[in-house]
Amino acid sequence: MKTVFRREFLSYFRTPTGYVFLGVFVALSGVIFYLNNIATLSGELLLFLSQLTLLTMLLSPLVTMRLLSEESRKQSEKLLLSSPVPLPSIVLGKFLAAAAVMMIAVLLTNVCTLIMAVYGTVYAGEWFVGYLGFTLQALSFLAIDMFLTSFAMSQASAAFLAFAGNLVLWMMDLIADAIPVPAIQSALRFISLYDRYEPFILGQLSFASITFFATFIALFVIATMRLLDARRFSTGGAA
Amino acid sequence: MVEVLNVSKRYGRVEALRGVSLTAHKGRVLGLLGQNGAGKTTLLNIITGCLAPTAGSVKINGSDPLLNPSQAKRTLGYMPEHPPLYDEMTVEEYLRFAAALKQVPRAEIPDHVRGIMRSTGLTEMRLRLLSHLSKGYRQRVGLAQALCGNPDVLVLDEPTVGLDPKQITEIRTLIQSLSTEHTIIFSSHILPEVRQLCDRVVILHKGEVKLDADLSNIGGGSATVHCRIQGEPKKLTPALQHLDDLQSLQALPSSDPGVIAVSLTFGKTAMPEKQVFTLCSALGAPILRMTRHEDDLEQIFLQAIAE
Repeated sequence: MKTVFRREFLSYFRTPTGYVFLGVFVALSGVIFYLNNIATLSGELLLFLSQLTLLTMLLSPLVTMRLLSEESRKQSEKLLLSSPVPLPSIVLGKFLAAAAVMMIAVLLTNVCTLIMAVYGTVYAGEWFVGYLGFTLQALSFLAIDMFLTSFAMSQASAAFLAFAGNLVLWMMDLIADAIPVPAIQSALRFISLYDRYEPFILGQLSFASITFFATFIALFVIATMRLLDARRFSTGGAA
Repeated sequence: MVEVLNVSKRYGRVEALRGVSLTAHKGRVLGLLGQNGAGKTTLLNIITGCLAPTAGSVKINGSDPLLNPSQAKRTLGYMPEHPPLYDEMTVEEYLRFAAALKQVPRAEIPDHVRGIMRSTGLTEMRLRLLSHLSKGYRQRVGLAQALCGNPDVLVLDEPTVGLDPKQITEIRTLIQSLSTEHTIIFSSHILPEVRQLCDRVVILHKGEVKLDADLSNIGGGSATVHCRIQGEPKKLTPALQHLDDLQSLQALPSSDPGVIAVSLTFGKTAMPEKQVFTLCSALGAPILRMTRHEDDLEQIFLQAIAE
């Protein structure tokens, strides 16, 4: 797993992908910080983090789009599949590499936190809870995006699929509101990444949400492993 | 040793492979021949565990790549038709990555990779990005990654496709040098290449094995030379019959008086043209024409794939 992780992580920075993602993420988070905090003279860290959700939703496909689709297109997956490294380690190595890049982006947003701390007050507990929720939500986006991109054969279609998936998740609350069936409404709200993030924005350490996010991430990482494994047994097309 | 036991693979309604069985032994090169779409790549993907068969099984040194992948794949090197390269890596980085995947101990990786680069002629290119390599060098890197971890079994899918003649010769020489210590399964649709490199040939057609035989049993690498020589038949014919490794001598019709036409079939070890030239030169009999006809693998292939 370490071997795959290392290669994947370094490849983000041997191609423009990592720099573009981090550059755009940091630039836009700066804009959000200016509009939410500097322009309004607000020291609300959690408000700032709640707005960053939009960024992870928009930009996480940039991180995941090449993870699996590029391997399929270039057939480099045959190097991995014919090696003694088990498939779960391959998928996990790739996911962790994407997660590491996302973590760098999350860490860089702390420059804004630092500015807030210099000119106002940032409570450690608030910081911890806010960033925990933000990180878990970002990793959840990565997990579902990686799963969706495993259906794609090119980076463009992978990015499109991931973005569409994120959009559906983003609209989950709106969809729930539009369906006048309480059971469906509560089911949709249960899987809404935004509803699950809400307690963290309010400064609450929600173990239910932590468990949900952890399960959500594990579920989609395992689903990706199962999908890739099932593809070897596929009778519907070439591998 | 690689054993393929009654393997079938179905894609929807299409049966890509139908009950394919074959065995490849250590120290021998097995050539997988077939037209495009015959099922060669599907079979190689199944052997290497990249695909699962619909029915049947594969054993690599006794281990099934699906049931015991870690054991089976540790002894396997696979060079797919399109080398599985990461363009953003240098040759050395990529081979180190491949060696790590093959679970070569970390401390041994630098020496191991250096040795492979030496044997595949990549040392000078070691700092080059893979994206900057020519087709020939990309093929070499593909072969080099297959050699990482010193696998007993090498599976090579059309390793010379798209190369220029010089590169083809280099890759063939390399495969030949590897053949003594490895079990090699080698797919191609180039008949002379199979003849040159392989000990055994399996002809696949529409997913079925049409022929599985030692090359020595299907022509044995024999070559036939047709000659027109000026001289006395009574003197020339007995002399020709004493050529080394001559399997048969057949007189051909000749319209010119004082000129004989013969068809000489030689075994694998003979150097027919050289022998005929030396003999005729010693007898003072000018050779008016000499043409070599390679053995009948092409004929056998065409017969095997005939409906």
